[in-house]
Amino acid sequence: MSAAVWRLLPYMLGGVGYTVLITLVALAVGFLIGTPIALARVYGNKVVQVFAWGYIIVMRGFPSLVLLFIAYYVLAAAVNLPPFLAGCAALGICSSAYQAEIFRGAITGISGGQMTAARALGMTRSQAIFSIVLPQALRDAIPGWSNEAAVVVKDSSLVYAVGLAELMRRAQQVNGTLHMPLLIFFVTGMIYFLLTFATNRLLGWVERKTHIPDIAEAR
Amino acid sequence: MKRWSLMLLSLMMVVAVVGVTGCQSKDDKLIVGTSADYEPFEYIAEDGSYTGFDIELMEEIAKRLDMEIEWQDIAFDGLIGSLQSDKIDAIIAAMSATPERAEQVDFTEPYFIGADAIIVAEGSGIPISRNEDMSGYRVGVQTGTIQEEWVDGNIDAEVLRYERAEQAIMDLRSGRIDIVAMDYYAADAFVKQGGVEVVLKTEFAGEHMSIAVKKGNTELRDSFDQVIDELEAEGFIEALALKYLSGGE
Repeated sequence: MSAAVWRLLPYMLGGVGYTVLITLVALAVGFLIGTPIALARVYGNKVVQVFAWGYIIVMRGFPSLVLLFIAYYVLAAAVNLPPFLAGCAALGICSSAYQAEIFRGAITGISGGQMTAARALGMTRSQAIFSIVLPQALRDAIPGWSNEAAVVVKDSSLVYAVGLAELMRRAQQVNGTLHMPLLIFFVTGMIYFLLTFATNRLLGWVERKTHIPDIAEAR
Repeated sequence: MKRWSLMLLSLMMVVAVVGVTGCQSKDDKLIVGTSADYEPFEYIAEDGSYTGFDIELMEEIAKRLDMEIEWQDIAFDGLIGSLQSDKIDAIIAAMSATPERAEQVDFTEPYFIGADAIIVAEGSGIPISRNEDMSGYRVGVQTGTIQEEWVDGNIDAEVLRYERAEQAIMDLRSGRIDIVAMDYYAADAFVKQGGVEVVLKTEFAGEHMSIAVKKGNTELRDSFDQVIDELEAEGFIEALALKYLSGGE
């Protein structure tokens, strides 16, 4: 029995690649959508603000699994997405709503005086946003974003429901052959733990590296 | 505004890439959905490839129809939805051709008639000599199975439903339930592990296992039916059952 465990372990670990890939793409999609939504929510005109607000409310209210089923089964009538892309799209869109709120909080945390000062120096509004406010806000957003990244790592396990053999699905399959749930799911849990731990350590490092010295006094 | 448009542009590129790669054509491959965590019908071998009674049968059918199979592993609950939305062309997953399912998909003629098992914890002494004796006990079943349907319709018992049969077995071992009603052949692996025993081999409604195709795809179904007839006449299916399903006898 234990020999079989060692033989099946590489197959199970092969699923980690998908887990990592889905997480990275979903976080990137979430970032690419979430940042403009956050900016729209803070700096947009009334119409744009309401749109951004509505987007956040709706996407945050939908369970990731529901979004996944919509992306995979319902959209199939128009675009037949394979499981991987459906998973990245659903988790990415879901994450974009959370990321937008994280960024919005960070942007509003930057003192309004900085915008005024930037404009007084002759910068346009978008120059001030992209060169002054956003670079600081993104730094401030790292701890919250790190939380969201950990959530997406674990949510990536949902994609097994539409048939992508990522870590969770492979654990189920291996359990279907070995019938050792305690061992297999403990190992699976440890792998997810290591992934989130590594993610948070990495982002902690990024936070320290990008820290602007004496920034607190400048605000 | 330059960076705004840059951001918008990159967003549009992502959407475009997703759109293009999403529209994969299926060519002449036969995409078959299964749920590879159900020994001995479909499960993974030690090298991670799919194996089992259904897998080998389907490979033989495809070979005779000169088709190439692309396997798609999907959770059991998601199989019919995947077939309906054209993600897959057929399902083979020890699936019983129930009337409810037949409203959603078209089934081939049965390729195997299974059996059911009533399982109790070893040494529990629960006396079961016929199906109805389960009345009054806490009975665990897998959702969406014919065992669940039979238990719901025929006896008065506290029914606990599980996404997978194996979870019901775990609860049986830990004493949360008294009985598990499940497929006889799939139960074999759990019995071998110990702790539980088959107290009665039975038949609730006759597990007519069939291959499912999309509703209206009679062409594919008819060609499957023809090969199933052939394989039955040749004794291929019987030999396959001996190879994979004999352990329970």
